[in-house]
Amino acid sequence: MSLNLNVAEWAHVQEVDMARHIIDATREVFSTMMAMEVEDCYPLVEPVTEFHCSITGMVGLAGSYTGILSIHCPAHLAMKMTSNMLGMEVEEVGEDVNDALGEIANMLGGHVKQVLSKGGLDLNLSIPTVISGETYTIRSMENQDCVVIPFRCDGERFLVGVTIRKEC
Amino acid sequence: MSNVLIVDDSSTMRKIITRSLRQAGLSVDTILEAADGIEGLNALGSNTVDLVLSDINMPNMDGLEFVKQARAQGCKAPIVMITTEGGEDIIAEAMNSGANGSIRKPFTPDQLQEKLGGLL
Repeated sequence: MSLNLNVAEWAHVQEVDMARHIIDATREVFSTMMAMEVEDCYPLVEPVTEFHCSITGMVGLAGSYTGILSIHCPAHLAMKMTSNMLGMEVEEVGEDVNDALGEIANMLGGHVKQVLSKGGLDLNLSIPTVISGETYTIRSMENQDCVVIPFRCDGERFLVGVTIRKEC
Repeated sequence: MSNVLIVDDSSTMRKIITRSLRQAGLSVDTILEAADGIEGLNALGSNTVDLVLSDINMPNMDGLEFVKQARAQGCKAPIVMITTEGGEDIIAEAMNSGANGSIRKPFTPDQLQEKLGGLL
């Protein structure tokens, strides 16, 4: 797993730079919107494609580049994040948690878009998609063009990944 | 006191903006909510609104089209984009369409107060 070579060349960004952008963006989103501190554990040692009792928020990027930004959280952590965002107790995975994970993915995707896009008009962000379940597999996470950052927050681990390509 | 319209497809973000407006101590009376540009235009057509806060990336009608149509319908209230879109070209397009400013997500109540204090 690594940053696509065409992306590195066109965007003048190396994998370690992309990882740093994602880490900085994730810290900013968590501290500003949730009053939560995160610790990055980059690099990811073993690829992760299967998730258990988790929630995944994703946004697509299309235009001058194509790809997906995704955040994968254990359900318990996602409820805590949503609770902090909304300032109220959240005790089940439902509409609020799904919407919050989608919005977090949207904010992180916007940051990645700023890294890749010249002015914002050449690259579009999709509306967020959220999936959850007891066990599911995300195929984009085994893609060789994927950069994945593991984080720890509130005693739990979560992942932020970006799979991005430049068609030449 | 002022009436504020929040146009954002995320119910979480609408709640956060509402809470941040209160925390920032801004002079807000009624807060109206819309989940996309179409709902936003309907809200403008049936309410007196003093300030509009709009996302850009939304389904059905995005924020750029919403601003254009709001101005075409005669909306005189300031419109501020609150968005993850930080690219200068897309912000310039929003301003050319009739927006009065932009705030990047994520934001703090202090940043809202700084950007919106003069508009309310």
